[in-house]
Amino acid sequence: MNIKDLGFWFRDFWAEFKREGSGLVGLALLVIFVLITLFEAPLLPFKEANTRWRDITYWQDNPTNAAPVWTNLFTPKKAARTLNLNKGLKETITDTEGNSFVQESFTYRFTADKAPLDIIIHSTIKGSVPFTVLVERPDGTDIQLFQKYIESDVPTEVRFSLNNDSKNSLFAFLKLHETSENLSRVSSGSIRSTDILFNKAREGMADSFEALKGEYRFIVKAQVVNQEQFVMQDTRLVVTGSVSGILGTDNMKRDIFSGLIAGLKWALFIGLFTSAVSVLIGVFYGIISAYYGGIVDTIMQFIYQIFVSIPLLPVLIVVSAVFKPSIWFLIGVMVIFFWPGSVMTVRSMAFQIKEETYIEAARALGAGHRRIIFNHMAPLLIPYSFASMALSVPSAIVYESSVSLLGLGDASIVTWGQILHDAMMGNAILNGLWWWVIPPGLAIAIMGMTFAFLGFAMDRILHPKLRTR
Amino acid sequence: MYKWFATKRIIKGLFMYALLIFIMSALFNSVVETTMRSQIEEQVRLESMKLKNTNTAALQKFQNERREKLIKNYKLDRPIWERIVYRAIDTITFKFGKSTIIKSSQGERDVLTIIAEAIPRSLILFTVAAVFEILFGIYLGLKKAQKPGGSLDKSTSLITMIVYGMPTWWLAMIMILFFVYTVKIFPSSGVHSVPAPEGFMYILDMLWHTALPLLTLVLIGFWGLAFVVRNIVLGILQEDYIMAARARGIPENSVLFGHTLRTAAPPLITMSLLSLLGSISGSIIFEGIFSWPGLGNLYWIAVQQNDIPVLMGDLAITIGLYQAGLVILDLTYGFLDPRIKVGGKA
Repeated sequence: MNIKDLGFWFRDFWAEFKREGSGLVGLALLVIFVLITLFEAPLLPFKEANTRWRDITYWQDNPTNAAPVWTNLFTPKKAARTLNLNKGLKETITDTEGNSFVQESFTYRFTADKAPLDIIIHSTIKGSVPFTVLVERPDGTDIQLFQKYIESDVPTEVRFSLNNDSKNSLFAFLKLHETSENLSRVSSGSIRSTDILFNKAREGMADSFEALKGEYRFIVKAQVVNQEQFVMQDTRLVVTGSVSGILGTDNMKRDIFSGLIAGLKWALFIGLFTSAVSVLIGVFYGIISAYYGGIVDTIMQFIYQIFVSIPLLPVLIVVSAVFKPSIWFLIGVMVIFFWPGSVMTVRSMAFQIKEETYIEAARALGAGHRRIIFNHMAPLLIPYSFASMALSVPSAIVYESSVSLLGLGDASIVTWGQILHDAMMGNAILNGLWWWVIPPGLAIAIMGMTFAFLGFAMDRILHPKLRTR
Repeated sequence: MYKWFATKRIIKGLFMYALLIFIMSALFNSVVETTMRSQIEEQVRLESMKLKNTNTAALQKFQNERREKLIKNYKLDRPIWERIVYRAIDTITFKFGKSTIIKSSQGERDVLTIIAEAIPRSLILFTVAAVFEILFGIYLGLKKAQKPGGSLDKSTSLITMIVYGMPTWWLAMIMILFFVYTVKIFPSSGVHSVPAPEGFMYILDMLWHTALPLLTLVLIGFWGLAFVVRNIVLGILQEDYIMAARARGIPENSVLFGHTLRTAAPPLITMSLLSLLGSISGSIIFEGIFSWPGLGNLYWIAVQQNDIPVLMGDLAITIGLYQAGLVILDLTYGFLDPRIKVGGKA
């Protein structure tokens, strides 16, 4: 079978495949998956999700266990969503006394009914710098939130969190409006800063929240004492909302959507690689076993019998628990147990092909064993194995996620099974965090469905016996 | 003839089991022995704590002697191949030793007792589920085969493909999320309430606890079975004697359930047993989601506590059950289809 034959064969195959509705759906889904893998970088909301999935400092600005943003559509009281403002308005000003300041201001349009959980400001600063954070509320009040004197010779990161660092100044603001009776019940330690800052200034604001909507201007101001040494850069503001991202966050503040995108390529790779390698091994094993027959066949069948009689998942679990394997090792173990799946069908088909006259002719012409197996038998049988290749992809993915679910996965990558393991450990079911449990499993199921659609469609075309009349 | 066939198959099964245990023993030899050594150390420490009024030298001497004796007892001083064989023989004769952390409900640390407690619970859950799966699967499969390409056939085939790659344990999570915490009608875990009620209520309570795991297993299991049944039955419905039966005016249901089902019985039973074996081999850890204290849950606990002896014992028993299942499979098949036991080569 040469390239031209292959082209003809493929054209025939495609003509039939076009008529399989579910097969086309499967193909479309597969194309989508591949595209997502290729365009992973622009799709990832958190760019370093792949490498820093288990690094808590990377996720520290996110809310804990936040619901997806779109849940706002179904709630009467809209929650503030997580927002990243990476660039503010930077200006240099000089006051009347001749002091020069560098300030960067961020405008946050607050339209939700509930206050955000926190406002966080990051900045990288060098030199001897008196550093201030101010806010202008929509009603015209200015509040100084934070003041600190920073002294450092190297650029250091300063992190300001409204909740932790400005309780005193907001309590002072509260004092201006609240009655003394209400004030006696709260202290600067017990208030939630965001609930005061985004509240309408009035009596009773300590008790109830009434959103003051409008534009809040956060100003980060640094006094330039020594021009040569001064650096202030990478200033950014994060609004930590109580809803976050497309699929919410987990108990370690990780963005679940990023995890799903990062896990996709591994699911695809584990499934395709394991099934392709193991089915190819199985096909050649079956052909060789049938071609040589006799004692070779007996021995090879015995080895096959051993592998067939091993329950895969228990062995996989124990191997993972004992050897703490990397993902490559795990794929290797799966290949070792997956190849027998396609041996029997191929062997029985190879028994028929072996007796065909053209094989006899090839042998009469002096063709060697290898030539007959690789050039005359394998090309006929490999197309038939495509269906079983597609159909064994889902089980490879499910086995990997089962092992990961037990917490035995490769810790250097992100897979869907590991996200579900964290969900189990974080009591996601008990706490009703459905956005943490449903999406990863659904992704596994959809991936399985994709290959089931493809596999069953190919099966119907390649084994016409099963066709519906 | 059947006796010969059966004996041969059983001996082959036993041999295969021994062989697999031997391979496992070689594979996991070093980790098992590390655990054994630390267990010996622990025992020596315990024994020397019981000793009173001894000086340091005597204590040291006692400890060394005990340690050496125990190492000899466990044959840890022998060459490696001998240790592997010895370990394999121990496993085959169900001497799994003591667990490191896990205890049975009576507080014993004998691995065999711990596993023996778990086996019936797993078997009950999975066999009952298999029975339901087979009933639903065969019924649906027959209906599908009756009108191949019809709307019922098409829609159920679609569902088969949709659930094809769905992990059972994930469906279990979703079922718990929905039926336990949203619509509060089922308990979340275990085999019975704590404390367990008496008498008739005990059975009801157990059924109530079994319902959700069972529902999950059946819900995901019978679609695939129905699909296979359809393909088998579809082949049989083409036969001449079915056409003859229909021509004689025998009611359609009688043709379907009488004539067709009898011919389809051997492959159907094979398929059903295979699906039961498949769930032992593939979805056993789903027990962990429901905290159903069977063999699968034992894997969870053993992995979390890093209890190597229990893990190894559990694996040996699972392999044994799987072997037994394969032997039963072949024996039933041979019983139902006489051609198998006569023909020498499969």
